[in-house]
Amino acid sequence: MLFFREWGKKAVPKPIRRLIGLLGLLTIVSMVTFGAMNFLGDPLFNILGPVAADVDNPESLKAIEEAKAQYHLDKSLPERWARWAWDFVRGDFGVQFSSSGQPPVSDLIKERLPRTLELMAVAQIIAVSLAIPWSVLAASRANRRTDKISTITAFAFVSIPSFAMAVILFYFFSVQWDLLPDTYTATDPFWGISHDHRLIQLILPGFTLGIGSAAAYQRLLRTDLITTLQQDFILMAKSKGVSKRRVLYSHALRPSLFSMITLLAINIGFMIGGSLVVEQFFRIPGIGSAVVEATLREDFPVVLAIVMIVSAGFMVFNYLADYLYTLIDPRVRNEDTSKPRKITSMGM
Amino acid sequence: MHRSKLFKLLIAFLALTMFATACGGSDDDSSSSSDSSSASETTESSSESSASEAAEEAEEAPAEEEEAEAPIVQDQEESVLEPVFGGTLRWGLEAEVDGINPTASALSAPGLTMMNAVFDTLAAYDVDGNTVPHLAESFTASADCKTWSMKLRDGITFHDGTPLNTEAVSVNFLAQFGDPLVGLAVRPYYSADEPITIVDDLNMNYNLTDANCNWPSALTGQLGAMASPTWIAAAQDDPTLDQQPVGTGPFIFESRVQDQVTRFVKNASWWGGDVYLDAVEFYPVTDGDIRTSLLLEGELDAQATTNVESIASLAENDSITQVLDDTGDESFLMLNSAKAPFDDIRARQAITHATPRDNYNTLINLDVTRKADQMFTPESPYYNPDVVQLSDRPDLAGPLVNAYCADNPSNCAGGKIDIEYQYSGPSVVGERIADLLSEGWADFFNVTVQVLPQDAHIQEAALGVYNSIGWRQFGAVDPGIDRVWLMCRAIGGISLNWPRYCDEDRDALILQADAATSTEEKIPLYQELSQKINEDYLYVFYHHTLWSLALRDGVENVCGAKTLEGATLRCQVNGRSFFQSTFLTD
Amino acid sequence: MNEEQEINADEVTNDSQASEEETNISDSAQLEVSEFADKKTLGFGFWLATFWLVLISFLAVFSPILPFKDADKNYIAYEQKENPLTGKVQERPVQPPYAPSGEHWLGTDQDARDILSRTVEGARISLAVGALTALFGMIVGGTLGMIAGYFKGILDKIVGAIFLVVLSFPGLILAILIVALLDRSLLTISVTLGILGVAPIGRLARAQTLSFSEREFVMAAETLGAKKSRILIKELLPNVLIPMSTLAMLVIAVAIVGEGTLAFLGLSVQNSATWGKLILTGSGLSTLESSPWVAFVPMGFLFLTVASFNYLSDRIRDYFDVRDIFVTRD
Repeated sequence: MLFFREWGKKAVPKPIRRLIGLLGLLTIVSMVTFGAMNFLGDPLFNILGPVAADVDNPESLKAIEEAKAQYHLDKSLPERWARWAWDFVRGDFGVQFSSSGQPPVSDLIKERLPRTLELMAVAQIIAVSLAIPWSVLAASRANRRTDKISTITAFAFVSIPSFAMAVILFYFFSVQWDLLPDTYTATDPFWGISHDHRLIQLILPGFTLGIGSAAAYQRLLRTDLITTLQQDFILMAKSKGVSKRRVLYSHALRPSLFSMITLLAINIGFMIGGSLVVEQFFRIPGIGSAVVEATLREDFPVVLAIVMIVSAGFMVFNYLADYLYTLIDPRVRNEDTSKPRKITSMGM
Repeated sequence: MHRSKLFKLLIAFLALTMFATACGGSDDDSSSSSDSSSASETTESSSESSASEAAEEAEEAPAEEEEAEAPIVQDQEESVLEPVFGGTLRWGLEAEVDGINPTASALSAPGLTMMNAVFDTLAAYDVDGNTVPHLAESFTASADCKTWSMKLRDGITFHDGTPLNTEAVSVNFLAQFGDPLVGLAVRPYYSADEPITIVDDLNMNYNLTDANCNWPSALTGQLGAMASPTWIAAAQDDPTLDQQPVGTGPFIFESRVQDQVTRFVKNASWWGGDVYLDAVEFYPVTDGDIRTSLLLEGELDAQATTNVESIASLAENDSITQVLDDTGDESFLMLNSAKAPFDDIRARQAITHATPRDNYNTLINLDVTRKADQMFTPESPYYNPDVVQLSDRPDLAGPLVNAYCADNPSNCAGGKIDIEYQYSGPSVVGERIADLLSEGWADFFNVTVQVLPQDAHIQEAALGVYNSIGWRQFGAVDPGIDRVWLMCRAIGGISLNWPRYCDEDRDALILQADAATSTEEKIPLYQELSQKINEDYLYVFYHHTLWSLALRDGVENVCGAKTLEGATLRCQVNGRSFFQSTFLTD
Repeated sequence: MNEEQEINADEVTNDSQASEEETNISDSAQLEVSEFADKKTLGFGFWLATFWLVLISFLAVFSPILPFKDADKNYIAYEQKENPLTGKVQERPVQPPYAPSGEHWLGTDQDARDILSRTVEGARISLAVGALTALFGMIVGGTLGMIAGYFKGILDKIVGAIFLVVLSFPGLILAILIVALLDRSLLTISVTLGILGVAPIGRLARAQTLSFSEREFVMAAETLGAKKSRILIKELLPNVLIPMSTLAMLVIAVAIVGEGTLAFLGLSVQNSATWGKLILTGSGLSTLESSPWVAFVPMGFLFLTVASFNYLSDRIRDYFDVRDIFVTRD
């Protein structure tokens, strides 16, 4: 046993092992979700409606038998999961459970995923654009009043939940000052600067989603910047007469970005599932709102498909982040660690 | 009758005061003022027995007549402008619809709205409330009103080229007949062996189980919408086609993006005449506030809503015209008489007395809608002024609850009856209503609130799994149609008689009214029906639902739909209107 | 130019496995305050936060006997107004929401319910959810983590696998799934959120246990022949408890936010005025326009409470110089 394990370790390189581990994890996630939905809900009911219980009526019975055959509901749970999994990996996400008209799940995903992706992109761009100047400012005035204020502000932003942030921003920018549009229309063109363009419509939701990330990035970046600024080569540049601004942005910034970029990668992974509330509030038809609607409707194929996509995305980006981190890892081991770095995530 | 200037003034006045009120202002006003004043007067002058109370109510009645509640009805005036061809009408819907198949889907308001664009019904209501032939050419009753002959118009085809003939109609009928859910509204009323008889290509007979001299009204809604038999057959094999309907209507289905937009384009060869719009697009926007703001911003051209806050805020906007109607359905709390505790009339009566209807109308409906005691509105000939629902009377509820709990301790806890209240959500308004009701019932009932998505909500009602549920029904222009919700034969494994209450005498009244040929004959019958419903305590009526079609400036002639013979059709029925006559001036 | 980069990383406790695992950084509730705050005093902010939490807990626990108005009652005001239809002056209701006044200190919502009372009621439920969640997380997560850290070997691997699976789940979606399919009771929601908290707490407990178990006092106890369970309970638990408590405070904060998120999706504790539900009720477009206090009052309470928990957790950790990692799975 041990021999095989050792042999396996040598024969299969680490990244591949990780990948297999991830796939295994995805499989388990799908099993748990599939099981939960089938135990806690009743697929027949969700497909057929009240007809499912109307067993005295011959027409209803016919419909029930048809549904059972079509969805393999008479087979055992593991077998149904296996069927689903086999279809899934071949790209067939199944059809939605709905009592009239069953469009394929992949259509829904195709429509909705881009919406979430564009929201995430806008959110991260806003987050990074905010974080960089903010942390540069704080780092350059480290421990003085500006810095302390900015730290408290960052802290405050991180403490505000996304739904509350959504309401606040919406209230000020849409309701009171009418600066930004209050609805998102998926059929509007993207590029443009009027209220009828999605780019502008995504500013509020993007800001809501991004401000928390911005605060977190700012924190990391500021710390790293302060450390970098103490390095010799910075002193050298300053003594050569390079302007403070150039020193900050051209010399100090780039080496300090690693932690932030790692966090960025992880955040993107998070956001795919974490944009739920923002999508619901701003009525953006992305996969976040799709999964909420589907769960309430007990539309299992949709929920399963989205859970898989979100988990997979999550894992991919974390894999990426780890890879990025290992680039700097060897150097970390040699360094003296001084400050604790935290995080805690409950997957929210 | 419905277009008096007085009513327009009333609406304008309502509108003006409404916004002032919303700003925490002083004025409040409603056409139901007479109700609240008489109610408060009655509670102030306390009396022990309900008999003397009833007498007092009767004494109030003459005073009420002076301040009779006016119906909130307002049509868009027929346009004097020249119709303009072209343009796309963007219509906001309350909810997305899974499929528009009249033979397979149980359609609610949004579904019925879209249905009107792509299908035509065999019959329709004219402005006076009479049933007139629309897609069909004529209806003739046999002497005993049990057999009806229908003659179709020659030369009409469906959008896919299939001809509209009696063969096509029979495919539609049999599909509905056989559908497990839709069939419940069909099977009990037609002869089991031969519900229809085909005479020739354009003539056929319907064979009813009971005499019904007003029968064609049954064909003014979903049951009368004719779909292409070719499409029906294809949709039975592939249910995704439910979302791509094929009818005879003024618009043809073009495309659909779920939860975004469904688009229909002009049917240039529509049998009914000119169609002015190039296309109609339906946008499901579930949030009423957002839908209203889209309308105000010009992103939508029209929407239908029952949300009183929206209606009030739209009323004070000059660029919006609203087509109002509250003579249709009623909103109420429905009780399941087949399950404890509401199988006992004392529990049903108690909850009726404990229901805070006044608060409901003030808080949820901003005192705009008219309170309802029965399914008829005061200006209807069938209205029974003696039928009064004693809500907001917690003093009357106490003894009943005590009596019930003494006999049924297992259904009670702490001297209060255990009940479940169910509504469809998630919805902020739904939750407010649930809170409001729970608060009003708190002294007498232990309330568990259950929120279900729309589908499950209807399922549970149909299967009789619920205790008490928020619902909306009745108010058909021809009250005979509401028989499907009331008769004993509608009860089964799935029941359209949602409270599952069977009263043979009640059925007899309904059938008698069906067989009657004049309004005079029907009046006493329907009045007695209202009396029975009131005394059976199955529905706790809240208000007469106020429907509003809100139209942006430039949307003209929405109420101008006519039959081929020139009769003007009734503009809206529970939020559903026609699209063939509409044109845009911008 | 050979630029040396100094990255501040965490001191990973003696744990060979941990170095292979990835640390996950996310929108954290914590902040590095050690830079400008003296580690050895707790600071003004600490006492402010404590004061707020004590206040809100007091209000929450004792609200039934405190003279607050009934949280569910509809306090519709009436006044003498002219009925425009008849011209008579009579008692007509005034349309809510009512602005803050002497009668209602923080105003009312659209159904004329007193906001102060409802917010205090919301505190009861939100804090209850937070406490139950943290309790569940600590008991289950802590136990699992300590077992894994102390016994190591196969138990460690099993527990690690469990944590991994829980962490890989998109948390919010899982919460929605369970709550939507089961019921919306306080217990269900707390346990669901607690499940999501098991892994971070468990990981921490495990790491702490691993580190402590190598220390002399534990080895001494072992040599003396003490039973394993005794060692776990008497030696390790007290030491693991402090870092776990700081994490627990964070968990409470996250749970309150989580409950608010669920409420916003319509899935919170049924029939009760949680903060999330109060905020949701007040965030309709028209309500925000005319009466913003309906949403902003509960939001203010929520923010203060969450920020206080976050801050406290941070300061205590700095004060006790807790070195720890909240390792979460990618």
